Amino acid sequence: MANRNLKINIFRYNPAEPEKKPSMASYPFEELPGLTMFTVLNRIREELDRTLVFDFVCRAAICGSCAMIINGKPRLACKTLTKGLPKEITLLPLPVFKLIGDLSVDTGTWFRHISLKTEAWIHTSAKFDPTAVEERMDNETALRIYEPERCIECGCCIAGCATANIRDDFMGAATINRVARFMVDPRDERTPGQYFDVIGCDEGTFGCMGLMACDNNCPMEIPLQYQLAYVRRKMAAFGLGGWKGTGRTGEPQHHRAGRSAS
Amino acid sequence: MQVQRSIARNQRMELFLDMAELVSGLLLVGFLWTHMIFVGTIIINPNLFNALAAGLDRYYLSYIGIPFIIVIFFSHLVIAGRRIPTRFQEQKIMWRHASMLGERDTWTWVFQAVTGMAILVLASIHMWVVIENWPISAVFSALRVQRYLWLYLVLLFVGEFHAGTGLYRLFVKWGWFKRQSVFHVIETITVLIVVMGLGALWVFLRLGVRVV
Ligand code: FES
Repeated sequence: MANRNLKINIFRYNPAEPEKKPSMASYPFEELPGLTMFTVLNRIREELDRTLVFDFVCRAAICGSCAMIINGKPRLACKTLTKGLPKEITLLPLPVFKLIGDLSVDTGTWFRHISLKTEAWIHTSAKFDPTAVEERMDNETALRIYEPERCIECGCCIAGCATANIRDDFMGAATINRVARFMVDPRDERTPGQYFDVIGCDEGTFGCMGLMACDNNCPMEIPLQYQLAYVRRKMAAFGLGGWKGTGRTGEPQHHRAGRSAS
Repeated sequence: MQVQRSIARNQRMELFLDMAELVSGLLLVGFLWTHMIFVGTIIINPNLFNALAAGLDRYYLSYIGIPFIIVIFFSHLVIAGRRIPTRFQEQKIMWRHASMLGERDTWTWVFQAVTGMAILVLASIHMWVVIENWPISAVFSALRVQRYLWLYLVLLFVGEFHAGTGLYRLFVKWGWFKRQSVFHVIETITVLIVVMGLGALWVFLRLGVRVV
């Protein structure tokens, strides 16, 4: 069977050169067996246009840097085979994140910001003893931590979420999933009230409208609907069950980032 | 930090509104489906329909139920409506995003916002004309359907669509069941109710012809 001749349409814009308006450029490309978008983009840059900007690091769906919109869907370019796509393929940068140029966006700053905002680390008063044997954890808990932990922070869930597209402060599935990970971790000593402070709000769990584009498009297939619903139920249960813990609800989150764990 | 945002912040209220959205939505779907089953009794027999209407009237259920539902109806408008983007730019982002993704659940949300507005107008007219010609009886209803057939046809479809997708979304957000199975169950119920509603409209139309 003859190889298909693909037409690759790519969004072009460099914020550093605002006088050049955003445009779409088309490149012809002959399909080969097992071809991924990673190869396509690299060959276009090597052979057709050296100014094309896009990100790759691991090319194995581990680092999360190659996420982009492929024919309307948020996808990892390195994990996407051309075989399943029509002859004409359109590539756009992820929305929501800051555009660096062409297909490259800055997801790092966004994820660092929400990490600080939600204090995405284990809060414990236990003193670390490097010589002690690691504490044991039952398998079920370990698996429940492992599931959300598989997130590679590619940003597909955020870009796919219509709420995140219109509400700049909405934290999105990746963040809520991350908080869920700490909520099930027995080593984290935060009270329900402290979690409520972080995520029990319109920018967090109550802002989700159930559009499920996150769940549909997660390249790691993390069960995001389950994670989102879990956090929503936990936060509602806490909120309705009185105000135990340190439910200091008047206080905004961002300047609590970096607060000590105690 | 912005002072006005910190002062106005109330996470307990944000939870309360989310719960109010859940409860008002559930009540309205429950009401709508019950209402449609009551209306559907006309298909079996107009006397049954009249007896039911008279029964609800006699035990004051109509006088408690109707004002209650009207209050819930308008609260739901405000509470669920707070999620609808108001600026043109946001609405355009929403529309473009739905078209780009081409996913059912994002599209149905857009239509939920649109049908919500349609229901506000159509259901308000419906409530007005029903209350104005109190009490409910098969003959009055038949005349109403004769007169407002288009209104009832549109209201049937948009109402059932809005209720069905809204209920589905509640289940999705609270995660009690697998969402694909929930979707199929609600889809089936919605189709059945729409068919029954169409049947009831048809019976009313024929009844109306005989009366006139
Ligand atoms: S290049 Fe690392 S995920 Fe695609």
